[in-house]
Amino acid sequence: MNTNGMAISTRGLVKRFDEEVLAVDSIDLSIPVNTIYALLGPNGAGKTTTVSMLTTLVEPTSGQAQISGLDVVQQADKVRQRIGVTFQEIVLDPDLTGRESLDFHARLYGIGKAERLAKIDELLKLVELDEAADRRTNTYSGGMKRRLELARGLITSPEVLFLDEPTQGLDPQNRTNIWQYIRNLKADTNMTLLLTTHYMDEAEALADRVGIMDQGKIVVEGTPAELVDQMGSDNIRVVGRGNSDAFCEKVKTLSNVETVNKSNGIIQVGVDSGNRRLVEIVEMANDSGFGIEDISVSKPSLGDVFLKYTGRQLRDI
Amino acid sequence: MNATILLWQKQMKKALVHPEEIVGMLIQPILWVILFGVGMRSLMGTTTPNSGNDYMTFVVPGIVALTAVSAAIAGGSTWLNERLIGIVKEYLAAPIPRLSILMGNASSIVTKVLIQSVIILIVGLLMGATLSSNPLGWLGGLLLIAGYGIGFSGFALAVASSTDSSEGYHMMIFLLQLPLLFLSNSLYPLQTLPAWMRIGAYANPTTYVVTGLRQITLGAAPTMGPLANIPLWLCFLIAGVFAAFGMNLALRAFKAAIK
Ligand SMILES: Nc1ncnc2c1ncn2[C@@H]1O[C@H](COP(=O)(O)OP(=O)(O)OP(=O)(O)O)[C@@H](O)[C@H]1O
Ligand SMILES: [Mg+2]
Repeated sequence: MNTNGMAISTRGLVKRFDEEVLAVDSIDLSIPVNTIYALLGPNGAGKTTTVSMLTTLVEPTSGQAQISGLDVVQQADKVRQRIGVTFQEIVLDPDLTGRESLDFHARLYGIGKAERLAKIDELLKLVELDEAADRRTNTYSGGMKRRLELARGLITSPEVLFLDEPTQGLDPQNRTNIWQYIRNLKADTNMTLLLTTHYMDEAEALADRVGIMDQGKIVVEGTPAELVDQMGSDNIRVVGRGNSDAFCEKVKTLSNVETVNKSNGIIQVGVDSGNRRLVEIVEMANDSGFGIEDISVSKPSLGDVFLKYTGRQLRDI
Repeated sequence: MNATILLWQKQMKKALVHPEEIVGMLIQPILWVILFGVGMRSLMGTTTPNSGNDYMTFVVPGIVALTAVSAAIAGGSTWLNERLIGIVKEYLAAPIPRLSILMGNASSIVTKVLIQSVIILIVGLLMGATLSSNPLGWLGGLLLIAGYGIGFSGFALAVASSTDSSEGYHMMIFLLQLPLLFLSNSLYPLQTLPAWMRIGAYANPTTYVVTGLRQITLGAAPTMGPLANIPLWLCFLIAGVFAAFGMNLALRAFKAAIK
């Protein structure tokens, strides 16, 4: 497998838990160095399982995965030296203080004392926990815990950082702060970040590339702009009763209609300008005997992309 | 090695955060010696003449074994808890040997056991037990206890690695703990018991560790019974094999759990 310049690459990566559960179904990733890559998908899509394989916590059933050209199974120890990870659930030892948690973590990676002390101070400031640093973590709020975990992931200066739902359960202000740290990291270092999320705004706000994941597969991948652009400039969503296939065929014949997709009873029409085409589409429905129950115009989002590829809504939050 | 020490330090520090744990750890062996040891001594004293203090000497190693088993169970419980919260994932993602994660845990358990054993010996002395006059015997005794502690910690860590339920853990451990303690000569001499129990005792590492302690760490007690003539080298060998076996078991259960 050619992994030149790739921080993360996988080929046919599969994880099967039991006979029935195919958690990750043959995914191929090529993520260049210094990229923020977001795996976006609903609950149970296989995001965490993918991260677990890439971080050597779970062995793949088949296929290959490499971090900076190192195999996650054969060279697990070398991979572990190069990566950082924050897990989906908060895993802080309630008996340690914030500072002790960071110190312990840095020592696990064999970082010398002088460097450790300097880094701990620097990171505690970065995540604004310097005042709470000597309190036990069981006294921290959810947001403080997440920030401490982020600092912990960074203390070893990893080449590749995995963040499994880094802003889950955070208030909007904390979320935007964490986003800002993540953007700065990318800008200031050569770090590659893979994060998972089921917030499409998060993927849009942060990621250079997004992989939309569903039922163990990456159904589509690209930059957020590319993905959204495929949907047309504006998106008209129509829900109604009647012969929807005939209606779709007719809509396709309209000029300035870029795409028409029907999934799960929702018709999505990509057009050059929503407000201008709305009337035409309503007229078209009347002509073809299709009864519109709901119609809306919006800028297309990754959620619409998700709907197009999976036939299901990506529930926000 | 570094990682083992680091994890040992962390576990010790965690214990120090909870004063009630420390107090319990120090008082539990004292209670055992006073309540169990003294009570049983009176019983023995009435059935066989002159054997009251002898029984105290006899039972101190048994109480050490019992305390080691309790400490290992508590250690396994801590481990299960760390697994369930997910803290173990932090160790697993780090570039450290898997064995050192377990060794760090087992060594912290053994440290507590050794501290408790010293307390038991001191309280036992105050209550009439006699100690060997040879300090090498004391050191040898600590070695035997360490081997036994590591071995049973291994069993506890193995069980804690293969279950996701605290109740399940305690149930499984109880099934291991009971024969290990009572199917041995740790709390009573075996000469009056049926032959099958004696056979069970010969198959039980507790017997060898306790017998070794009686031979070198404590003063001679005539009521030691028919198992007393096990050669000392065999006691050490079995303590070592038990330690290796326990850790191996833990490592395998641990690796199976992260597949
Ligand atoms: N240890 C396991 N044993 C059995 N099945 C598992 C295990 N871990 C995950 N699965 C299953 O694999 C599938 C993918 O789970 P995964 O946790 O990777 O999803 P996810 O995308 O991270 O979801 P979420 O957004 O809810 O975190 C699910 O069907 C889940 O039930
Ligand atoms: Mg997940």
